[in-house]
Amino acid sequence: MSAAATSVLLAMSAPPYWHCGRTIRQVSLYMLAGLMPAAVMAVCNWGLPAARVMALCVVTAVLVEALCQKVMGRELSVDDFTAVNAGLLLSFLLPAAAPWWLVMLGACIAVTLGKMAFGGLGTNPVNTPLVGWAVLFVSFPLLMDPNAMQLATDYADPLIRLRYFGVAAAEAIPFTDLLLGRQIGGLGAGQAGALFLGGSLLAAFGIIRWQIALGFFLGVAGPAALCHMLDPALNASPFFHLCTGSVLLGGFFLATEPANAPSRPLPMFIYGLLGGALTIAIRKYGVYVDGTPFAVLLVNLLTPLLDLIRPKPFGARSS
Amino acid sequence: MKEVFQMLNDPRFHLLYGVTQRFSTGPEPQLARLNREGFKLVEGVTRKTLVHPRMRLAVHPSPLRGDAFSPIFGRISEINERSIFVEAVEPTEEQRQAAENVEKNRVDLLTLPERGAELGMILKGLGLNTRSLGQHCKTLIINALNPDPGVTWAEPMLLTHLDTLKAGLEVLRRLSPAERILLAVPREMRLHHHDMEVVHVPSQYPASVNALVVKAVTGRENPDGVGIVGLHNVWSLGRVARTGLPLIETVLTIGSLEHSGNYIVKEGSTIGELLHFANIELKNGDTLVRGGPLRGESLDRLDRSVTKGSTGVFVVEAGTIPPMQGHSPCINCGACVLICPARLSPGLLSRNAEFALHERNRAEHIECCLECGLCGYVCIARRPVLQYIRLSKYKLAQADAAAKLEELRSASAESAAASGNASAAQQGGA
Repeated sequence: MSAAATSVLLAMSAPPYWHCGRTIRQVSLYMLAGLMPAAVMAVCNWGLPAARVMALCVVTAVLVEALCQKVMGRELSVDDFTAVNAGLLLSFLLPAAAPWWLVMLGACIAVTLGKMAFGGLGTNPVNTPLVGWAVLFVSFPLLMDPNAMQLATDYADPLIRLRYFGVAAAEAIPFTDLLLGRQIGGLGAGQAGALFLGGSLLAAFGIIRWQIALGFFLGVAGPAALCHMLDPALNASPFFHLCTGSVLLGGFFLATEPANAPSRPLPMFIYGLLGGALTIAIRKYGVYVDGTPFAVLLVNLLTPLLDLIRPKPFGARSS
Repeated sequence: MKEVFQMLNDPRFHLLYGVTQRFSTGPEPQLARLNREGFKLVEGVTRKTLVHPRMRLAVHPSPLRGDAFSPIFGRISEINERSIFVEAVEPTEEQRQAAENVEKNRVDLLTLPERGAELGMILKGLGLNTRSLGQHCKTLIINALNPDPGVTWAEPMLLTHLDTLKAGLEVLRRLSPAERILLAVPREMRLHHHDMEVVHVPSQYPASVNALVVKAVTGRENPDGVGIVGLHNVWSLGRVARTGLPLIETVLTIGSLEHSGNYIVKEGSTIGELLHFANIELKNGDTLVRGGPLRGESLDRLDRSVTKGSTGVFVVEAGTIPPMQGHSPCINCGACVLICPARLSPGLLSRNAEFALHERNRAEHIECCLECGLCGYVCIARRPVLQYIRLSKYKLAQADAAAKLEELRSASAESAAASGNASAAQQGGA
C-alpha cells in the first residue's frame, strides 16, 4: 500500500507510449548534418563569400519565419530548425557572389510565399526553398547566373560548356573536379561528392526517402544513358549529368521534402523517375542549362495525382 | 529486404525476447478492486460482507462473461457502479472453513460430458470469458505471439508452462465448434508438437495483431470462418482445467525501462502494489500504462487494478520518449503511411478526425484500421494519431447507431400509420 499512498504525479498521454524518438527538430538536425559536408566543401571551394551567403540566407529565413509566426499569432516554432534547413538549401542554389539583398529577398520569399502563406510547415504544395529560388531566377536572371557572377575563378561551368562548346569540351573537365565541386554552379549544388555522401547517409538512416532519390537518379541516368548510347558525340554521359548542375542536391534534398512528395513507395519512385526524366528533357530541349529546380517544382505539382496510386486497404471488400 | 529498409529498427519490436523463466507469483493484494460494470451482485454480497478466496461476488447476464470472484480473504469495503473493493483482513475460522469448502468442490473439466455452449456455461461459472474461445468458426487460430512489444509472457507460456497450455487445449477442443485448431507461433521458435497443429508466423511487431496473424496463417485478409483467440485465454482455460477451481489469477508482464518480469497475479490487484512488489519506483512525470506499451491505456492513479484481459503493466519513464505537446499539426511527412500495416493514410485520418470530418474517414476505409499504434510510434510531430482514429471510429459508430434508431423509428411510425389507415378504411367501409 505504501507505493499507492505516496503521491506521484503521473503523466497521462495517448497510446502508443513508446516512440521511435524522432521529432521534427531531430529530423531537421539530421538533415543539417547531411548538408554539412557540402557546406564545408562550398567554403573550401568558394571561400568566405559562400559562408556569407549561407549565413545570411539562414538567418533571414529564421527571422522571417519567426516574424510570420508572430504576425499569425502562432506559437514560435523556429526551434525546430526547419527554417534553417530551408535557408541553407536555398543558399546552396545561389552563386557564392550573390549580393546581400538578393539572398535576403530569396529567403524572405521562400519562407513567406513558399511556406507560411499556406499555413506553415508541411502544408506547402511545392518545395519551400525552390519557391524563393524560382522567383529570384525569373526576376534576376543575370544575378542568379553563377557563370556571370563568378568571374574570378579558374573553374568552368560544365553545363554551359555542354550547351555551347559541345560534349568534348564539357567532358574535358576531369571527373574528380566535378566530384570535389570544382565547377561553377550554385555554391552548394555543385559539391557533388559531398552531397552524395550526405544524401546517401540520410537515405540509409531513413531520414529521406530512398525511393525518391533512387527514382530521381535513375530518371536522370536512364534517358541520359540512352541518348549517350545513341550519339556519344552529341550527348554527355549519364555520370556527367548526375554530377553537374543541382541534380544531386535536387534528388537527395529538394525532391525528397516529404510534405510535397507522395508518401507510398511506388508513387515515390515514379515521382522520382518523372523528376529525373524532366531534368534531362529540360537540359536537352529547354532554354535552361540546369533543369533540376524547375523539374522538381513541376513534379511537386504532380504529387496529388501520384498519391491516387494506392493499394487496397487491409481486408477491404472491393466495392 | 523489407526488414533492411524499414524505419522500425527498434529491437524491442522483434517479439521474441528469449525469456523462458517460469512465471513468478505476484503479491497477495491488500486491496482488490474488481470490475462490476454490467455485473449483478450475488445475493448477500453487500458492503462489509466477509469474503474468502474464490467466493462468487457477482454474475454477468451474458453467457460469455465469466463470473466475478473474490481473490482474497477480506471484507468488502465499498461497492459502486463500476467496482467492488475488497480489503484484506485476517480470516476468521468461518472464512477459512468456507475457503476449504471451495477447494473441495473441484470440477474435473476433462471428465465432464458437456460440449460446446453447455461447457461454456460451466466455464462461465468458473470465471472464464468464453467469447473468443467458443466463437463460431471452422478454423480457430491461437495467437501465441506476444501481443505487444515489451510483453514477454508468450514464450515462457509456450515452453515452460506447456502442461497448463495442453490442458487448456484439451478443454478448448471440447468447447470450440472449430474443426481445426492451429497454434500460431513465432517462426524462429521451431516448435513442433505431435498433438497440436503448429503454424509458424513472422514475429516482428505488428505481426501479433490478430488480423495479421490470420493473414499469415491463411494467406487471406479477413477470411470468413476463421476465428482467433489469444494464448492468454488458453492459458486461463488450462489453469482452470488443472486446478478445477474458479479463475482468480492472470499473467502479466510488469516492465519499466530496466526491469521486466512475468507474474501470475491475483485479479483485481492494484497497480501500486504490483509495482511495489516488482521494485519499480515511480517518479513524477512517468507514464503508467495498463496493457501493452503500444496499445494500452495510461492511468492517472495507482489504485487502478488489473483484470483478466490485462497483458501488462508498464512504466514509461519521463524523458525516455519525446513528450506530446498538445497542439501539433500534421506535417505530411508520410512516416505513418509507410509504416501502416493496413495500407491506410493515418495522417489523413487523424486530420479529418481533428476537424470533426468523421464522415470523410469512411471513404478512407477507417474501418480497416488494425489499431496497432505504429502510426503514433513513428509520428515525428508526436500527434496522438491512434487516439484520433479511435475517436473517429467511435463517432462513426455513434452516428450509425443513431441512424439505425431513426430508421427503426420511422419504419415503426410508417407501419403504425399504415395500420391506422387500414383500420380507418375498415371503419369507413363499415
